[in-house]
Parts: sequence; C-alpha cells; structure tokens
Amino acid sequence: MDLIIQQSINAISLGGVYAMLALGLAIVFSIVGLINFAHGDIMTFGGYGIFLSLAFGMSPVAALAIGIGAAVVMALTLERTAFRAMRGADVVTLLITSFAVSEILKVLFQNTISARPVPISFPAAWSGTYEIGGATIGVVPTVSIIVAFVSLLGLTLILRRTATGMAMRAAAEDLEMLKLLGVRANRVVAMAFALSGLLAGIAAVIWTAQRGSVDPMMGFFPVLKAFIATVLGGLGSLGGAVLGGFVIGILEVLTQAFLPDGLSPYRDAIVLALVIAALLWRPDGLLPAQNANRS
Amino acid sequence: MTFKKLLLTTTSALVLTGAAQAEDYVIGVMSAQSGYLAPYDGPAYAGFQFCVDQRNAAGGLNGEYMVKTIVKDTRSDIAEGVKVVQEMLDDGAQFIVSSADADPTIAAAQITMADGIPTMTFAGTAPVLTQVGPHVFGSYPADNQQGAVLAAYARDQGLQNVYLVKSPDSAYTLGGPEYFGEVFESLGGNIVGTSNYSLNQPDFSAIVTTIKAAEPQPDVIVTWAWEPDFPAFIKALRGAGLDTQVMGGDVLDTPTVRGLGDVVDGVVHTSGGFPDEGSDYARFIDDFKAATGTTPDNNYYVNGCDIVNMIEQAVAAAGSTDPGAVTEAMAEIENGKGIMSDFTFKGTDRMPLRDVVVARITGDGEKEFVKRTKADPATLPKP
Repeated sequence: MDLIIQQSINAISLGGVYAMLALGLAIVFSIVGLINFAHGDIMTFGGYGIFLSLAFGMSPVAALAIGIGAAVVMALTLERTAFRAMRGADVVTLLITSFAVSEILKVLFQNTISARPVPISFPAAWSGTYEIGGATIGVVPTVSIIVAFVSLLGLTLILRRTATGMAMRAAAEDLEMLKLLGVRANRVVAMAFALSGLLAGIAAVIWTAQRGSVDPMMGFFPVLKAFIATVLGGLGSLGGAVLGGFVIGILEVLTQAFLPDGLSPYRDAIVLALVIAALLWRPDGLLPAQNANRS
Repeated sequence: MTFKKLLLTTTSALVLTGAAQAEDYVIGVMSAQSGYLAPYDGPAYAGFQFCVDQRNAAGGLNGEYMVKTIVKDTRSDIAEGVKVVQEMLDDGAQFIVSSADADPTIAAAQITMADGIPTMTFAGTAPVLTQVGPHVFGSYPADNQQGAVLAAYARDQGLQNVYLVKSPDSAYTLGGPEYFGEVFESLGGNIVGTSNYSLNQPDFSAIVTTIKAAEPQPDVIVTWAWEPDFPAFIKALRGAGLDTQVMGGDVLDTPTVRGLGDVVDGVVHTSGGFPDEGSDYARFIDDFKAATGTTPDNNYYVNGCDIVNMIEQAVAAAGSTDPGAVTEAMAEIENGKGIMSDFTFKGTDRMPLRDVVVARITGDGEKEFVKRTKADPATLPKP
C-alpha cells in the first residue's frame, strides 16, 4: 500500500510537469499552428536563469522568480524575432523554424555557459520528507504537484474569465475572424507565447529542484514527451494536452516501477506502443479540439 | 639558365619539404565540440594539445618527430565520427585518438582496422572497447579495474548488501555496476536488487521508491550514472529520505557533482588520479593554469597529456612511427611513466593497468583522498 501511494505521488508529480509543458505547446499550436520544439530550450533558459541568479548570490526564492521571468522573456523574444516573421507559413515550415531556433539556442548555451551540466543547489530543507500513513513522501514532489495544479487552474481561469483569455480562445478557433473583429492579433499571439513561457519557467523550477542541475539538453527530452502528450490528448486541444501529459507521466512511472527487470529496456517502447494503440482507437486524440487537425 | 636555377631551387625545396614532412608524426583527433561527449572530449583534447605543444617546442616526440594534429569535430555523433576518422586517415593520420567513450571508439576502430592504425580512446573505460582488434587501446583505468577496487573498499568498510542502478544504454553505465557486483559477491557481499534506467531519464522517483521497498535494505547503492542522471538520482534518493551510502565510478569526479551540496556529502567514487601536493599531477595543474589561464578541474586534462606520454614512449620503443611497430610497442609497455599515474599495457588486453583512486565528496563541495591502489589483474572480471 505504501508503495502504491509513493508511486502514485511520483506519477502525478511527473505527469504534472509534462502537462504544463504540453499545455505550453498546445496554447501556441492552437493559435498559430506552430509546434514549438524550442519550447524545451525556453525551459532550459529558465533553468540557467536560476543557476546564474544563485551564482550571483541571490536568495533561492528570488532565483526561482528570475528563472520563471527569464523563460517568459525568452518566449516573447523568440515570438518577436523568429516566429512572427513566419506567421501564416505552413506547419512544416514552422516546425523546421522551431528546430533551427532550438539548435541555435542549444549551441549558445553550450558555448556561452557550459557544455557540462551546471549544479543547482537548493537548501537542504527543500529536500525533506514527511509521513502519511506509513508512507514517506518527498517535499519536492508534493510541491511540484501543488504548483502544477495551481498553475493549470490559474491558466484555466485566465483563459475562461479574462478578456485576453477569451481572445486567445477565439484566436484558437479562427484567428482571421478575430482580426476582422478588430482585436490586435499580435498582442493575443504574444500573450499566448508569454503564457507558454510562464509554464515552461514553472516547469524549469520544478525540474531543477528535482534534478539538481541544468545542461544545454535539459529541456529536449521532457518536451519530446510533452509533444507526444499533446498528440495523445488531441493536437490543438488544451484540455487534451493536460490529460495527455498526466497519462504519459503515469505510464512512465508505472512501467518503471512494475515492469520486470528483463523488460525494463523496452519501457519507452511499451509506453509509445500504448500511445499508438490509443491513437488507433481515437485518431484525433483523447480530447480532440473542435477544429482538430487529425494527428 | 634562369629556368635551370628555378628548377633546381624548386626541386630542392620539394626535397627539403618532403624531408621535413617525413619527420612529422600525424595524429588524428576526434573531439566532440557539442553534444554529450563535449564535456569529456573538450578537457581531454585541451590537455592533449597542451602536451603536444610542449613536445613540439622541445623538438618533437623524443626530440625527433614533430607532431602534426588533425582535429575534427564529431558533434558526439557516431556516424559523423566514422566519417571524420576516414577523412583523417585520408589526410595521412598515423595514429587516431578517439572520443572519450567506448561506443564512438569502437566505431572508429572499425575504420582504422584495415590499415592497423593504432587507435586510443581519450577516456573510454569500458573494457569491451579493445575487443575490436589488436590496434585499439584504452588510456584510463578500465571499469573492471575501478569496479574491483571499489568493491574491495566497500567490503573493507563492512558493507554487506548492495543495490545496483545501471543503464543498458551505454557500455559504461551498464558495465561498471556489473563489475562491482561480480567482485562484491566474490568477496562475500550480496546484491539485494537492481534497477535499470534510461540515459536522460526524466525521473528517478520510481527507482528510489523501489529501493526503499527492497528487502533486506541495501548498505550501499552503486551506480555508474553520469550527469545529468546522477544529480537527478541522488536528489530523488535524498529527497525521499534515504541516506544510504552511495558509490560510483570516475564520472562522479566532476565539479558539477561536487557542487550539488548536502545531497552528495559522503558519496564515494573512483578516480584515475589525485593531485597530491608536490606530485607531477599538481605540477601539471600549475603549468596548465599558467599557460592557458584555465584550471584543470577534472582528470580528463591530465589524461589527455598522458596519452601524449604513451604515444611518445611507444614511438621510442618502436624506433619508428610505423603504425604496426607503434601498435606492437604500445602493447609491450611496462611501467610507463605518466603524470596522472604510471601505466602498463604488457599482459593486459590493452586497457592499461593504472592506479585507481578512491575519493569521498564532502558537503562543502570538495573531495578528499581515501586510498590509491591497483586492481589485481588475476581477479579482474572479464569484459
């Protein structure tokens, strides 16, 4: 029982990070049709923001805030310098642009900061544990779950209750119509990128707190998983992205925890096979967008 | 007359140039400038080139052969590595120094096999890498040496039960813990569990939870995980409230791991060397820093320099730069003089027998010397 509680916490914690990253990808995709593979590098930039802030002697809390801010600034910068000029291009062109931006950022991180991972050391108390019914639960996974849910809830409120959020949802439905109605499309798109950067920054905070280091490739693998999550959930569907993130995270942890040793090298293959099976069953994803692009 | 003079002059110049080139020893160097090998190839190449420059300033290897290096970036990509090795051979390379891991070295050695060009890895430690052919050499103490020394140390400390965390994704991360386990069991210890992880695995909490549930509980956890996997693992382990002793391979001997703070306090790892005060290694650090402004903060720098020492001693023993002769001479070196440590190829499978250091990380980001010893070749686990 203890084992099940602990593995459930692990699964939800990892799923929460994937869900935030997947949602960041989905927000941008739903509005401008861009699958932004540089999203992982925005997360990495947030991680380096935390590292540099700590290196310059700032308090850990200030460093986390700067890390999140750095990710937002990077997301807005990329939108303005790289992606705005490509607005309206086809999906493949946008995809290749995002790969190019991603590669450029990786090389910049490597050559201006370090090719090696750099350490991030938070106070020891942040790595503490507490007991629930005999199960020992880590503080960091718990905080990451809370932060993930609060972030997702906050974003839902923004999208549903604010004028900007409604404009973003309208843009996701029909950007051209939004322009005809006199809404400033550039502002809406920039807001989408800012929110996506905010989610990447929060993911960077959780990721670095759990992993203890930042390297140029830090964001690549989680965003790859997040991309799979968006496809599984339904490309362009915000709710689907969140659901897909949690499903992928839970599958990864469960297969890690309960597969026999002999099968463990096939863990990723098994998870992806399950994703393919789900897509054969529901080709548009688990929660498809209303104007779904068939995945 | 003028034409004859010109012809004579040109011919003489060509002859002289040809004579000078005949004395050059061309060494091809695979050096990943980006990707997962860059953190290892970069320092190793810096140390290598530093000592090549020193030799050339003194008249070349053994005062006889000026070294010309051809350095090519592999981007940590094996296919790219194979391509650049072929290019370097086409450009006349007589010796290849390959990237700091077994897999790219094995790929490079397949290319150099046809001409029997001696091929030495910057720092690959998986002993399987020399199985490609008699022209392939290691330079660093192999994983089975490190595993054997660390297992003996663990048993000396009275540790009885070990949990192994390994990854089948690379020969290094898989082999190290397995060699440790083999020797540990032969010395009376028990393996109470193993977990496999993937390189760059996002999350280690499931493995940590499995370790917490292991019965009996391990006295020590052993992994050859490298960055960023090791920091993620140790953070998850300590974050789950487990303070079990952790031990690992030489890849933990980095400023990044030491910079993780309290979570790595007491972690024990192997290493290829330790810069004791007044040692050749300490002097190398001072010289390198004075010349370049960079302080070597890991063993890859000094091992890069020791590769120059190995080549120089092999060329001296061969009496020529002929690839076959150098290969044979290298394989016969016994108690060769190195800076990180001395090296012996004779009687080995061309992974040099060298000192293995055991060190302990302290909570203030330093490492302290624990012991230095050589593995017993008679009891080394087979690759």
